[in-house]
Amino acid sequence: MKPKYVEELEQGFTPLTVCEEASRCLLCLDAPCSKACPAGTDPGKFIRSVRFRNFKGAAETVRENNALGAICARVCPTEKYCQLGCSRSGIDKPIDIGKIQRYITDFEESIGMDILRVENEDNGKSIGIVGSGPSALQASVELRKLGYKVVVYEKEEKLGGTLRLIPEYRLPDRIIDVEIERIKKIGVEFKTKVNVGKDISLEEIKNRHDAIIIAAGFSKGKCLDLFKNNDNVEIAFDFLKRIKECKGKEKVSNNILVIGGGDVAMDVNTTLKLLGCKNVTDVVYEEFCEFKASKKELESAQRLGVSIIDGYVPVEVNNKEVVFKHRVLDACLKIIADKIILAVGQYADVENLNLKLVKGEVNSKDVYLTDDPKVFVAGDLAHSPYDKTVVGGVRTGKEVAHLIDSKLGGKK
Amino acid sequence: MINKDLSVTFLGVKFPNPFCLSSSPVGNCYDMCKKAYETGWGGVVFKTIGPKSYFIDEVSPRFDKLNKESTPFIGFKNMEQIAEHSLEENLSDLRRLKKEFPNQVLIASIMGNDEETWEDLARKVEEAGADMIEMNLSCPQMTSHAMGSDVGTNPELCKKYCQAVKRGSSLPMMAKMTPNITDMVPVALACLEGGADGIAAINTIKSICNIDLEKKIGLPIVDGKSAISGYSGKAVKPVALRFIQQMRQDPRLKDLQISGIGGIETWEDAAEFILVGSTTLQVTTSIMQYGYRIVEDMKNGLMHYMEEQHVDSLHELIGLANKNIIPAENLNRDYIVRPTFDLDKCVNCGRCYISCYDGAHQAIVWDAEKRTPSLNKDKCVGCLLCSLVCPVGAISKGEITIKPNRKTKIEDIKL
Repeated sequence: MKPKYVEELEQGFTPLTVCEEASRCLLCLDAPCSKACPAGTDPGKFIRSVRFRNFKGAAETVRENNALGAICARVCPTEKYCQLGCSRSGIDKPIDIGKIQRYITDFEESIGMDILRVENEDNGKSIGIVGSGPSALQASVELRKLGYKVVVYEKEEKLGGTLRLIPEYRLPDRIIDVEIERIKKIGVEFKTKVNVGKDISLEEIKNRHDAIIIAAGFSKGKCLDLFKNNDNVEIAFDFLKRIKECKGKEKVSNNILVIGGGDVAMDVNTTLKLLGCKNVTDVVYEEFCEFKASKKELESAQRLGVSIIDGYVPVEVNNKEVVFKHRVLDACLKIIADKIILAVGQYADVENLNLKLVKGEVNSKDVYLTDDPKVFVAGDLAHSPYDKTVVGGVRTGKEVAHLIDSKLGGKK
Repeated sequence: MINKDLSVTFLGVKFPNPFCLSSSPVGNCYDMCKKAYETGWGGVVFKTIGPKSYFIDEVSPRFDKLNKESTPFIGFKNMEQIAEHSLEENLSDLRRLKKEFPNQVLIASIMGNDEETWEDLARKVEEAGADMIEMNLSCPQMTSHAMGSDVGTNPELCKKYCQAVKRGSSLPMMAKMTPNITDMVPVALACLEGGADGIAAINTIKSICNIDLEKKIGLPIVDGKSAISGYSGKAVKPVALRFIQQMRQDPRLKDLQISGIGGIETWEDAAEFILVGSTTLQVTTSIMQYGYRIVEDMKNGLMHYMEEQHVDSLHELIGLANKNIIPAENLNRDYIVRPTFDLDKCVNCGRCYISCYDGAHQAIVWDAEKRTPSLNKDKCVGCLLCSLVCPVGAISKGEITIKPNRKTKIEDIKL
């Protein structure tokens, strides 16, 4: 059957196959997977629960640690984290940990388990969070669990931040909605269509709360100078957002050039193929051995027939025609396309929020702090050691929450 | 493709190969047995034929299975009794099968409820053309206590019924034993005294396979209730091998001819039953799961095993393990063999460490940095649990130590 944009590209496990996969796990003494997750997930424990048929216990292990468990299960580049050190690789291939987690969170949803709980009484303190992406959501849960009142301000109509740019075939909107519903249930308040810095000033929300977290994320796609003011060029984020909003109901032309080699570029590539674009050519600055995209996303783009050319830089643009040069070799490439989509990086849109950025991040002495003692940052904006991925965002959300708790004196 | 002669002679009857359907749902009518013969089974034990007066009335559903991890059918529970077709239909099926498959062996399983019916059934199946009779003294789920395993635990009754069968027929006859008994030997001896020529072992083990946790009823559920019934499949193999060995190691039964039954599904299982003294082999559960075709790999695999063992007849293999299984008190307790770790094979999972610590003698030292095991010799008792849990076979028998003041010499030890 032909894959569709609105259907998950990868099939989930069945009750039989999840048990088969869990049986492959060696149940290590010091499970490397459990030490490798930026979000602090303990796969060694939840796989063992599946092995011993305790699916509810497995769901608790995932959910109590990560408010975005069902999302991470689908979008995390697990080959870089939990699956990297899997002992099973010594025999054949790593355990498919992401997919087991997906089975568990689907199970959790199917039986309507309520795992997230507020563990402390309300402490009378209030935190405002700007943005509703992964780090914001996780921070909101951590703080709420500790007894804080939490209000999340989102400028868009829909909550989720950059999660809403991940294509449907990888992360259905429904999954994001369900995760956020759980967070609403424990009392986190969400205000949508409120652009802090425009509709309301930072000062005003600072007055409302005891601390503010700016987790605005890299929500804008970059444009290269060569491509400015060119009607044939679209920024990847704009494209992905539009397609997700219309659920893939858009006709695309037959010859599209994509520039970029990260996960966003792969999302564009695969989306174009699923929408029926005949020729998708992706030209990438990095060579294959240094690709930033996760292996899974690269492979699914390739499987659908995207042509990927590595090691070239654009040097000249004339409307629909782009000339590239190889970074090392004396080689030239000219491509004429109906449309050009740029996936060459993202940046944060934080006007009027009084943040000093260095290379797009708030580069303070201590991660998560800003010049203003009442204002913290998380997610992409934080100069943290973690990748700018969903799971990296979850980690920063946790850390900023606990930092704030320690500064505000914790429990009442 | 390899081709070796798998024929065996059992109770004077020649079988083209030792593999037979056991008396069960898999040999319930002419069509099934025909297909089995055509697939290459050496013999069929037709589903037990009972007396005319005994009305067969089965429950629905009637099976259950035990799973472990992702493996279904570790064990299988069955509530079916004996053939539900009329005596005439069964006898007519026997006639037709013998006529169409003269070279493959047809065994009639019978079960009476008194001496008269046993004798009468024996006579009738001989007239119908059966090559051999198997007395079913062991079905654990009969609805009459005058039949099945209640009879099979009573040596006197078994002997009397064997005599009755011998009065009714001159065919070679084996008695099928129940494992729901501590010692099978007295029953086997009584059957031989009563005229049985050989023994078939084992029938199924009385069991409860699973309980429905919501309804609090055993499975399968029959109108809100369940009952104890026979358990079979791979899980019972160790129990079957033990009973066969115990019979063969009794001096009075050392040449006993046995048809081995209990969880056979591969050629390796078959070879094990032969090595403890079985001449023919009977199979049901794995056929119910996978079909008659499994005989192809059992036959071919057994031929390869014969070649590896340099034998031309399976008779050369029968009972070879009997003398090597001895009472526990006679084993050599003079030495300890400690494990050795092949770190090139090791995948660093630490399972050996966990099992040694939690289930043995805390003798494995774990290097958390390198993630590798090593041995604390002083603590190791040589149980070798570690080698059983290792997923990659990186742990094997290593250094041998003789306990203080013992006579055994290291060079004489056979590991």
